[in-house]
Amino acid sequence: MALIKAELLKLRTTRLWWVMLAVTIAYVLLQLGLTIGFAGQGGGPNGQPIFPGRDTVPFQELMWGLGASGALFPMILGVVMMTAEYRYQTITTTFLTTPRRERVVVAKLGAGVVVGLAFGLVVLALTAVAVAVSVPLSHGELVLSAKILRIAAGVLAVLVLYTLFGVGLGALIKNQLGAIVAAVVWVFIIEALVNAIPALRPVGKWTPAGAGSAVTNSGVDLGLGTDYLLPAWAGAVVLLGYAVLFSAVASATTIRRDIT
Amino acid sequence: MSAIEIRNLCKAFGPVRAVDGVSFTVEPATITGYLGPNGAGKTTTLRSLLGLCTADSGTALVNGQRYVELPHPLSEVGAVLEATNFHPGRTALNHLRVLCTAAQLPRERAAEALEQVGLADVADKRVLAFSLGMRQRLALATALIGHPKVLILDEPANGLDPAGIQWLRGFLRYLSHEQGAAVLVSSHVLAEVEQIVDNVVIIAKGRLVRQGSLAELVSNGDAAVRVRTTRADELVPALERAGATVERHDGFLRVSGLEAESIGQIALDAKVVLSEVAQERSDLQQVFLELTGEGQG
Repeated sequence: MALIKAELLKLRTTRLWWVMLAVTIAYVLLQLGLTIGFAGQGGGPNGQPIFPGRDTVPFQELMWGLGASGALFPMILGVVMMTAEYRYQTITTTFLTTPRRERVVVAKLGAGVVVGLAFGLVVLALTAVAVAVSVPLSHGELVLSAKILRIAAGVLAVLVLYTLFGVGLGALIKNQLGAIVAAVVWVFIIEALVNAIPALRPVGKWTPAGAGSAVTNSGVDLGLGTDYLLPAWAGAVVLLGYAVLFSAVASATTIRRDIT
Repeated sequence: MSAIEIRNLCKAFGPVRAVDGVSFTVEPATITGYLGPNGAGKTTTLRSLLGLCTADSGTALVNGQRYVELPHPLSEVGAVLEATNFHPGRTALNHLRVLCTAAQLPRERAAEALEQVGLADVADKRVLAFSLGMRQRLALATALIGHPKVLILDEPANGLDPAGIQWLRGFLRYLSHEQGAAVLVSSHVLAEVEQIVDNVVIIAKGRLVRQGSLAELVSNGDAAVRVRTTRADELVPALERAGATVERHDGFLRVSGLEAESIGQIALDAKVVLSEVAQERSDLQQVFLELTGEGQG
């Protein structure tokens, strides 16, 4: 616990966390705004709306899942939690304080859970406000179904798991810029493609993005299809698996290397 | 039990044998200078001792244990390694608070340690704005945070101005001779540590070349006589029969174990002409330069 507290203190005593939080908020607000704006408007193949109307329940379900799109930023924060130590050579002091290095990795994962939860709660609060304002204005009825609760929990889970994914990736790559670029390119370009091309979907559902979509799957099809996804729980397990796998491999390889 | 015990330590980086069979100990309440030219293997030795590098063979113990096995490392060992080990955006005080939290030390220790090294005024400044000397002091505060009885410093004088070096000397003397700490301080500049060390360990190209007390090293027992002759082949056996140890160098012999006068007598008996007989100055600088092979002449 002391080590997790120390990791959180490291984050709080530098500026990056609130920059990332601000960017996350802005990004999720943009997503919420666009969805509200395009809700119920035509554009589908037969002129029917792509986004469900604001007075519908699917609209609310869609909105509640949007927070997951902000996962990129806590993921980057997770990467930096690890790579900044190498970049600024603070890793020396960290390992002198905690010579059993795998404990440092575990503590960073623990801190990553807290970071992911904090970001997730902020994002859900934004969503709640956006839903609570937009739905009644369109004379819809606010619902808090079991499905919406599951989606909201999924958003929390995705943010936590992506943060852990970032920590694990950072441990594995160590080079800050390299790890961030790798994370962004992998999750948001390669995976987006893999999950968009039907032939690749059997692979795509096992990727972090596919697993992340599974966790928050609202069943609202925006044209890309969601049937191929894993069940939500399996998606969470897959994401957690990546974080644990990366961290374990890193603990056995990169993290063990000499600090010179 | 020695505070630091290094036994037959070996560490290679690829084909380079950075540390090659080094052994020495450091006792409580003493200051040991770990000396050698740049690249001699000092840093690798210290980093292996601190568990940052994994030695290929041999042991390096602090208080009888490997560093990684120490339950509360910061309370046993303080280390000053490089001047850049700080996040530039974090304040000095916060840097130490992180350590206090991780090592479960009382919160007040952070401010106390800053006070101890004279950085209390800049506690809330980001390290970004710190000079090299201030960073070096902060590194020392980091080392002192857990009141350790063993201090390991790698080139701590780098970046310090003369006044800072003076201050550091006094501080290390106080910690060692009055507080009983075992201090191991490395340097490639003998003059930086000559005034404060009790013992010296000299390393060159990864190998130990000399160790002993400062007094032993500069004493006459170690002093040699430099002899020049064109007929070394005849003189050397005669000197060795008389119990001397002779090192052949380029153009001269270095004879130890005999006084200059006896050497002259032996040469006369052997009918060997000497062109030079000179008592070597045996100050530590000379010894250091010769042992490390940096200053022939």
